[in-house]
Amino acid sequence: MKKGLTTTPQGAPAVKTPVRVALVEDQIDTRESWRRLISSFPDFECVCTCASAEEALRMIPEVNPDVVLMDVFLPRMSGIECTARLKAARPDTPIVMLTASDEDEILFLALESGADGYLLKRTKPEDLRAALLDVLSGGAPMTSEIARHVVASFRRKSGGLDESVSLTVREEETLVLLTKGYANKEIADHLNLSIETVRSHLKNIYMKMHVRSRAEAVARYMSKRPG
Amino acid sequence: MLDFSSQSIGCTRIGGMGCLCSRRDLKRTVLPGAWLLLAWIFLFGLPSALLAQGKTGGGPIDRPEMDDSSDSLDATWGVGPWIWSPQTYDKQSCRFWRSFQIPATASVRTASLRIAVDNGYRLMLDGRELGIGSDWRSVTEYDLRLLLKPGWHVLAIEAFNDNREAGLLFGLKIEFNDGSRTLIPSDTDWRVVPGDERGWERKHDASDAWERAVVVSTFLPRPDQPKTGHWFERVPTMMVKVPTIQPLEVHFWTSGWFQATLVGIVVVGVMAYLRLQARLALQSRAQELLHRERARIARDIHDDLGARLTELALEGEVVQTELPPDSAARVRLSALSEKARSLSGAMDEVVWLVNSRRDTVRDFSAYVCKHTQRFLDSTAISCRLDVDGNLPDASLEMPVRRNLLLAVREALNNAAKYSGAGEIFLRIQVRGQSISVVVEDHGKGFDLDAVDSLRNGLINMSERMKEIGGRCQIAAKPGSGCRVEFLVPFSRPSSRSKESVDLPLAGLRGKEGSNR
Repeated sequence: MKKGLTTTPQGAPAVKTPVRVALVEDQIDTRESWRRLISSFPDFECVCTCASAEEALRMIPEVNPDVVLMDVFLPRMSGIECTARLKAARPDTPIVMLTASDEDEILFLALESGADGYLLKRTKPEDLRAALLDVLSGGAPMTSEIARHVVASFRRKSGGLDESVSLTVREEETLVLLTKGYANKEIADHLNLSIETVRSHLKNIYMKMHVRSRAEAVARYMSKRPG
Repeated sequence: MLDFSSQSIGCTRIGGMGCLCSRRDLKRTVLPGAWLLLAWIFLFGLPSALLAQGKTGGGPIDRPEMDDSSDSLDATWGVGPWIWSPQTYDKQSCRFWRSFQIPATASVRTASLRIAVDNGYRLMLDGRELGIGSDWRSVTEYDLRLLLKPGWHVLAIEAFNDNREAGLLFGLKIEFNDGSRTLIPSDTDWRVVPGDERGWERKHDASDAWERAVVVSTFLPRPDQPKTGHWFERVPTMMVKVPTIQPLEVHFWTSGWFQATLVGIVVVGVMAYLRLQARLALQSRAQELLHRERARIARDIHDDLGARLTELALEGEVVQTELPPDSAARVRLSALSEKARSLSGAMDEVVWLVNSRRDTVRDFSAYVCKHTQRFLDSTAISCRLDVDGNLPDASLEMPVRRNLLLAVREALNNAAKYSGAGEIFLRIQVRGQSISVVVEDHGKGFDLDAVDSLRNGLINMSERMKEIGGRCQIAAKPGSGCRVEFLVPFSRPSSRSKESVDLPLAGLRGKEGSNR
């Protein structure tokens, strides 16, 4: 499994332990390709491949990877539900959704269920690697379209949810700038913040979305119970 | 004609019955159910009937003198004896019927009908109401000269008795041109029609069940005639003469063929409407099917071809990593993967264009924003989005989306290539029933009249807008940037907007049957 490290011509710093990646993908060919691709990165290793959400729920908490790559469409249980369950078991393990198309509704659902980012399946290998590293270092990538959804979702009536899951002024400002097409760096400049602060704002927004959606799910469940 | 010159007694007007009779006639002739027609005919038929019957107003009142003392009719009053149904009771309604024939060769010179009923009557000939009366003391004379064409005729009288004695006096004297006469007095040849008989006033033959009328008293009006009992003392006191009754003028709108034609037209119209409606329903169903089919094609392309292309790119990348780093095949494989990726991207655009689930103004805006950001990401230019927060669900048809997207792309390309600006603005707003997409930069600008390099692009954009019924406005000045606005009308609110939210979620539950 150390193949990635040993075959890398640049000779990546061997002192660093490689990033341990888990992969959930139902198509066998695709799964194998992804495994080999990830393993080919100098500082990554694929420690676990799962063909279904059920398998992922069984294996991933045990293997305890550094990051999970999750296909959205899986047979029976969807990748979104699997993400929600994994997050409940291991809240600190970042999960990145793999999707064939960037349908905002689906991505928004995935982010609400606790995903930390998403990647198009046709992303170039170097971009994939950069995105994984970004998520691992606490980044929370967000497009203007997703930001628009998030703003709209937080502006809807919060249904008795407490203040801790509302957006702060800075967070909302960040989101609004995102919807206007600003890049993280530009937002930082515009708001006189460091880019790190902007990143942590986005991270917090993700966290709040997740908390909110869980609270809403609980509220829905409570209201459906008889009596 | 008879001579009614002497003994004028009084004057009574008999008005309003003309319209009564015509209204009744109409009700019978009009097809049941065609109420629309009935109302129409009623409206138009009424005034004309009034006109035709208005001449039947009042006439001179005379005590007649009849010379035919030997006839079955009274010489003075021209009527037979008092007749009634075998039973007499208070508040009685009694229907008398009699038919007679005018010979085919005969032509009527005079026809005078006289009638009086204790207490009232309604007189009908061949189902047509000729008049009403309510006082036995006044005998009414109707001139039927114009009504009695050769053939069978039916006399029908609805008589009413208020209380105690009841009786009908009747006499019809017809003189033909050849000098012969027909006399029909009130006698026992009259039949009494039971109350439940329908259409009796037009029936040519009497039923055996109809009783014969009985003579309740002889008619002896003259003082010199011997009398016994109060009945015989009854003497009418006046004669009311109604002017000659005209045959019913058949207006074209009351005639059967006209009504039939009208009903036919209405029926044809209704059928044509129903057919059209059915065809429209079929068409909208076809439209719906087309939309669904397009969504399916989009999904199939995406799920099948798109996924395989992605796999191809991935495979290429993987194989690359397994080749020696200095291998020439590596570069070519990399190019191959890149091609597969860009093909996959192009396919996504086709899928988006074809997909009927993504045809709303909102979806369009999201797509164009994404596209613009992706495009400007590869440049040093910042992207600035300004999108209306309340874009409608109205739908943009496929050609509209395609042309608008390509036009916007052209404008972006131009701005990125020539403006030298640090920022490019994309603004999407709704103006009335149109969507406005603006591509704006604050760069170098140009003189609209002196650009050769841009001309083709500008013409292209205008052509694209023209094709989809939109407009393209370009404002540019050297030194102050350029602003291109596309204005395109959108159609009705999309009925599929809800579906577009439902479908992806349904897809998440599993992918049985979807070959990705």
